[in-house]
Amino acid sequence: MAAVTAERRRAPRAHRLRAFWHRTPRSFRIGAFILLVHLIVAVTGPFWAPYGFAQMGAGIPLSGMSWAHPFGIDQLSRDIFSRVVHGSHIVILLSLSGTALGLVVGAIVGLLSGYVGGWFDDILQRFIEALISIPFLVLALLAMAAAGPEVAGNPVLVVLVVALVYAPRIARMARAAAIDIATRDYVTVARLRGESPWSVMRRELLPNATGVLLVEFALRAGYAPVLIGSLGFLGFGLRPPTPEWGLMISENRALLMVSPITVLGPGLTLASLVVGLNLFTEGFARILGRSVRLGER
Amino acid sequence: MAMLRLVIGRILLTVVTLLIVSFIVFGVLEILPGDVATRILGRDATPETLAVLRAKLALDQPALWRYAHWLGGVLSGDLGQSLVSGRRVIDILGPRIYNTVLLSIYAFILYIPLTVIPAMIQAVKRDRSLDHGFSALTLVLLSMPDFLLATILMILFVITIPILPAMSIVDQSSGWHEYFLATTLPAVTLAIVMAVYAVRMLRDNLIEVLDSDYVRMAELKGLPPVRVLIRHALPNALVPTLNVTAINLGYLVGGVVVVEKVFGYPGFGSLLVDSLQLRDLPVIEATVMLASTVYIAANLLADIGAILLNPRLKGG
Repeated sequence: MAAVTAERRRAPRAHRLRAFWHRTPRSFRIGAFILLVHLIVAVTGPFWAPYGFAQMGAGIPLSGMSWAHPFGIDQLSRDIFSRVVHGSHIVILLSLSGTALGLVVGAIVGLLSGYVGGWFDDILQRFIEALISIPFLVLALLAMAAAGPEVAGNPVLVVLVVALVYAPRIARMARAAAIDIATRDYVTVARLRGESPWSVMRRELLPNATGVLLVEFALRAGYAPVLIGSLGFLGFGLRPPTPEWGLMISENRALLMVSPITVLGPGLTLASLVVGLNLFTEGFARILGRSVRLGER
Repeated sequence: MAMLRLVIGRILLTVVTLLIVSFIVFGVLEILPGDVATRILGRDATPETLAVLRAKLALDQPALWRYAHWLGGVLSGDLGQSLVSGRRVIDILGPRIYNTVLLSIYAFILYIPLTVIPAMIQAVKRDRSLDHGFSALTLVLLSMPDFLLATILMILFVITIPILPAMSIVDQSSGWHEYFLATTLPAVTLAIVMAVYAVRMLRDNLIEVLDSDYVRMAELKGLPPVRVLIRHALPNALVPTLNVTAINLGYLVGGVVVVEKVFGYPGFGSLLVDSLQLRDLPVIEATVMLASTVYIAANLLADIGAILLNPRLKGG
């Protein structure tokens, strides 16, 4: 009997998925497609990239664009296209893990702060507001400086800095959501049942704030590659020879006059990833019936 | 009365926020790292240089006392001395702020038409191909890191059509013409980044206002469409973008860091990057505090503006 029901359910579910896909906004579909291409490159790239990311002697330096070297060759005669492909999983992995860490910390702090209220909330709010008041790039650079030269260029540090920049911003959204949800009857019931703030947060607030938090995650993840790229570009992010795109742009800027593709290759790849993430976020927010302001910093 | 109380409340909260920022900045740079002197000197550390630097930073004093001393200095306008050049921080900062303020004003002047004109075109031609084209363009520009946009503009206007200098080198002896040439590319970059963020919102606001009854009324009275758009619709659509402009001003404070570095413009942003590389703590502290103060002040002004423009709070 169970087998029969399972058999009968499968077809409608596939059908429903297809119907859902056709009802999604176009921006969502285009964004999802761009992201899929980036993800495939990130996962499979290291296996088919023509050259290694630090392999020298790939061609004649500064020889420009060609079929063998679509993004040209840098000063150390490394193939830029291979470096961009090898860098893909680094950029995506660091962006997602940094944003995810920021989301976890920001959501817990924001939801608890909004639900508990009182002086606990007041103190946390002043602190969060102070962190938001330092322009995000300045905050990131400050954190890098505080971490010191021994750990500079460490990918874990980059993840922590992305999380530090995003956690207060996500906490502010989560707090607003918690204050709204806390007025509902089911939260009152849970409190009267004698549940601790932590368990109210986990069982009542979190499930009802999922939509807000997911949109917030997508929005921030869309900007994380730019933040990581900016740090690399300024020389405070990952260290050479890591093929991080922002770092590559800064390395190849000396070649701008002779071979602009060495800068445009990694640059436009980075921009296409962010375009994909932004389109996806916009469509995703619309599916959940929320509005989102792209480019929020 | 209610309005005044709200405004004073906001100002007091701002002061508290600034105090916390100052504590974070000082704490992160001078208390958290443990032995600051070793950290600054790195490989150059010898017992003698360490002793000199420890005395200079008063590291034998308790951390909170040093913080209070530093804060007192900042409040009375004494920002200390650079550890690298020995010059007073305020003397280093002065010309850099002047350059950055010039650049920011230039960027803001370009920002206004770059926001209003595309938004008006999009709102009038809504859901037509021109509107979609602009939307796609703003999305791409929005997704582009500012250092990439700056580099693309450099390729276009320095290499392909060589009309502007690649490096924005100016000093106090430069005339206005040199300043103009030097600041054009950085200002255009900053203006585009700010505008693409505001255009999308202004377009939606304008469409909403254009659908409202009073705009319909103005059209039915037979007023010319351009007059309806500029005199009747635009002012009301602009009010909500006040907040966006404050956010943009906040971006500008961080954006100058990258953009000035790309063009080598001697402003306050490149000073921050340079002093971070040299680990010149007094300069870093002063620039970060200044950046945060400007950002907080911009938000405070936007909040007060929103309170003053809110008719429900009037006279109450």
